[in-house]
Amino acid sequence: MSDTTPSSSKTADKAGFAIAFGLAALSFVVGWDAWRLSSVNAHSAVGPAAFPTIISAGLALLAVATAVEAMRAGPVDRPRDEIVPMAWVLAGLVGQIALLPFLGFSIATGWLFAATAKGFGKGPIWGHFLAGTLMCFIIYLIFAKGLQLSLPAGPLERLI
Amino acid sequence: MNQNFRGALLAAAFAITLPLGAAQAQMSDMKIMAPAGPGGGWDQTARSMQQVLQSEKIVPNVQVLNVPGAGGTIGLAQFVNSAKGDPSQLIVGGYVMVGAIITNKSPVNLSQVTPIARLTGEYEAIAVPASSPLKSMADLVAALKADPQKVSWAGGSAGGTDHITAGLIAKAIGIDPTKVNYIAFSGGGESLASILGGKVTVGISSMSEFESQAKAGKLRILGISSPERLASLPDVPTFKESGVDVDIQNWRMVAAAPGLTPEQKAEVAAAVEKMAKSKAWEDMLAQKGWVNTYLAGPEFEAQLAKDIASTQTILKDIGLAQ
Amino acid sequence: MDTFAALSQGLMIALQPMNLVFAFVGVMLGTAVGVLPGIGPALTVALLLPITFKLDPAGSLIMFAGIYYGGMYGGSTASILLNTPGESSSIVTALEGNKMARAGRGGPALATAAIGSFVAGTIATIGLALIAPTVVDIAISFGPEDYFALMVLAFTTVSAAFGSSVTKGLTSLFIGLSLGLIGIDLQSGQARLSFGVPDLLDGVEVTTLAVALFAIGETLSVVAAGARADEIIEPVKGSVFMNREDWKRSWKPWLRGTFLGFPIGAMPAGGAEIPTFLSYALEKRLCKKPDEFGNGAIEGVAGPEAANNAAAAGVLVPLLTLGLPTSATAAIMLAGFQQYGLNPGPLLFVTNPDLVWGLIASLFIANAMLLILNLPLVGLWVRLLAIPRPWLYGGILVFATLGTLGANPSLVELGMLLIFGLLGYVLRRYDYPIAPVVVGLILGPLSEQQLRRALAISVGDPVVLFQSPIALTLYALSALALFGPLLFFLATGRKAPVGGDED
Repeated sequence: MSDTTPSSSKTADKAGFAIAFGLAALSFVVGWDAWRLSSVNAHSAVGPAAFPTIISAGLALLAVATAVEAMRAGPVDRPRDEIVPMAWVLAGLVGQIALLPFLGFSIATGWLFAATAKGFGKGPIWGHFLAGTLMCFIIYLIFAKGLQLSLPAGPLERLI
Repeated sequence: MNQNFRGALLAAAFAITLPLGAAQAQMSDMKIMAPAGPGGGWDQTARSMQQVLQSEKIVPNVQVLNVPGAGGTIGLAQFVNSAKGDPSQLIVGGYVMVGAIITNKSPVNLSQVTPIARLTGEYEAIAVPASSPLKSMADLVAALKADPQKVSWAGGSAGGTDHITAGLIAKAIGIDPTKVNYIAFSGGGESLASILGGKVTVGISSMSEFESQAKAGKLRILGISSPERLASLPDVPTFKESGVDVDIQNWRMVAAAPGLTPEQKAEVAAAVEKMAKSKAWEDMLAQKGWVNTYLAGPEFEAQLAKDIASTQTILKDIGLAQ
Repeated sequence: MDTFAALSQGLMIALQPMNLVFAFVGVMLGTAVGVLPGIGPALTVALLLPITFKLDPAGSLIMFAGIYYGGMYGGSTASILLNTPGESSSIVTALEGNKMARAGRGGPALATAAIGSFVAGTIATIGLALIAPTVVDIAISFGPEDYFALMVLAFTTVSAAFGSSVTKGLTSLFIGLSLGLIGIDLQSGQARLSFGVPDLLDGVEVTTLAVALFAIGETLSVVAAGARADEIIEPVKGSVFMNREDWKRSWKPWLRGTFLGFPIGAMPAGGAEIPTFLSYALEKRLCKKPDEFGNGAIEGVAGPEAANNAAAAGVLVPLLTLGLPTSATAAIMLAGFQQYGLNPGPLLFVTNPDLVWGLIASLFIANAMLLILNLPLVGLWVRLLAIPRPWLYGGILVFATLGTLGANPSLVELGMLLIFGLLGYVLRRYDYPIAPVVVGLILGPLSEQQLRRALAISVGDPVVLFQSPIALTLYALSALALFGPLLFFLATGRKAPVGGDED
């Protein structure tokens, strides 16, 4: 998101161009998939490719419109984003996904809680990690025992 | 997903199994995977098993694990990879899974698990609104032969049991199965509404979906996919006796992990058999309105192999598999 | 007609002390589980159904009704307080409700949701008791072409959620439409935009997308804003309950929402989402202070919440009169009924009148119990917002992922939550509205399927789309929604009261 810092470009809104590019890419993917589907033998009046084709065309038009608007708008000043706190929250979410299969729900989600709190400026991370893990372990117990829903189990959950 | 909730198909429960000798050492823990979200048919089957296995003290501690997605193939893949050689893990599945494995090009299939037994099943039926000019299967066959495109069929998702049955019928009467004008609906209620409202020519679904409407005289059942007439519905002719050689059952089964020793397999089979023959299981099925179609051992394996082969062929014929 | 005699008989049974206890327990449990994002009433009922096994039929029916309504109300509470919609029909509630909660008006938002739900539930239940057979005949006469026209109407009115820029609103909508393509196409069985990933074959779960865009996207943008967004969330500003003006602004939306929700909910393919969209759009049009929309307009909570609840009662119309389960919740309810020996279908009112009236009476009681229980709790609920931000947002993320994992314990699902969360952040960052993305995901597949069904049945003849009077009426309404403001302008010379930023 480097293009979101106070814009240094002289003529146009860089972020607008980036979004227009993203829309064009999405339009391409949807259109390509529609083209693949159109070769499938569909024995009905409107096959599986019709709607994707329309959506792809719409996205292409929107990409052009967004680019034109970005050109007209000129540079836009947007306040700077705090990268480090955001990285903490993202690390919490990614870490949860990475830890879940090995360490189970409580520990992985405890980490998510601790990392989010850290992102919002509240430490210490170890204390929050322990508190979060304990909280999640209780949630796990309620789900597993009360609702008979199994959340991913790890070493901690296997103790019971 | 709701198609199995309904109806009180009270058919004779038949069980053709050999007693496998007394169950030896009792299992203490068991994990049953329902390869679907909570609430659906497979989930209910798994949870019913859990309840009966525990209440009958066959296995004291049973857990149910839900892994939804892609017609059960996601759960199946996970089961094949994680349960290998573990006799304490089971997976619930059904005929829908047979089709989903083929159409989704699933990397795993049912030959990679150890099928134990078929537990319950339902038959497919064809229904028309009471006001429809079609009075019998013969009328439907005639209409299809005149112009298959003019006959619209309402049923579940494309490639599912309903679609497969429609394809089999077309093939049996010598019509190109790709010409079947099949309209897919996402839920039983929605397709039933379109049949009642006369928006489509015929509806095809499991019998229980149509039963209460038929009793109220709003729908007419043209035929059913059972090999013989059902004791509970003596007036409904089978497809076969109407000259359409199709018989199909939408069944649910339980399978064990891959890589079991013959002893382990026998142990699991004994536990499942004890459950399926218990009074508590009978009561559970009656409460849910499910028919006991318990079938185990080589007979079930033969039936499964036959179903897989015929499904493969028909899905190819209707253009959903290569 | 002994309708009222039968109903009062049912009420007498439901009012026995023991049954009131069951209603209380049901409502409490339902609310507690329903609060979890991603776990809507269908799943709540499915999970809690076994608890009712051991009771007598009357008691279990009442507890069941309590769980059902509790689950729905729990979803709205989570939407309003935490911005994490528990089900697709409370997504619209989150739009205005959460803005109100952040401005210290969480109390009135929860109250108008609770009272609106009660009013709508009561009216709709009366409708269920009195005019179900008539309503169902109309509902059944809707064909695919009529549903398609209804979707067109929903699409045209959705522009009310577009915010200030048409390009941006349409962009959000088309992103949602693209996401709606993912998965197996129902009609042809072909996989679209799945890239060989089996987890994508079932498509994008609406609640996953909504929770990600709303809760995770918002958490990311708040943390990224850092000190800049250091507004203090006041749990209570002014009265914790609704003041006179709130009442004045709420009662009409409650009624309008009810009249949108009940009939559309009764349609076999109507659902509970479309009436909430239509209600939101309608209230925005009719509101005297349209610029409040997007910043916490109470009408935007009152209308959709009433619509959502009325639709939930509407779903019972085809279920009880025809035995048609037209939603996931209805399918689960059917399973519940069967355990009490009820076999919904055309003959139900004839064969089991006592149980049907018992159920309807139970719905009344559960509805009233919910109101009595929750109004005093409103003050407690809004205290949630007094939790310091690091813990509040940490908790929101824990709950968001918990709900997703509870419904589907899959890493791919969590991955989607993360990716859509980032999408939500980017959209917020560049002032794109969020709601149209979700709307596109819901309406895109619905409209496509209905159109293709209509054309398949007619063997490709497009004339079928414009033949039915129902469809033509709906198209006329769409035209009015699109060009109405223009006509208003031409007639009066001043700009129609639309607009206002959203999100």
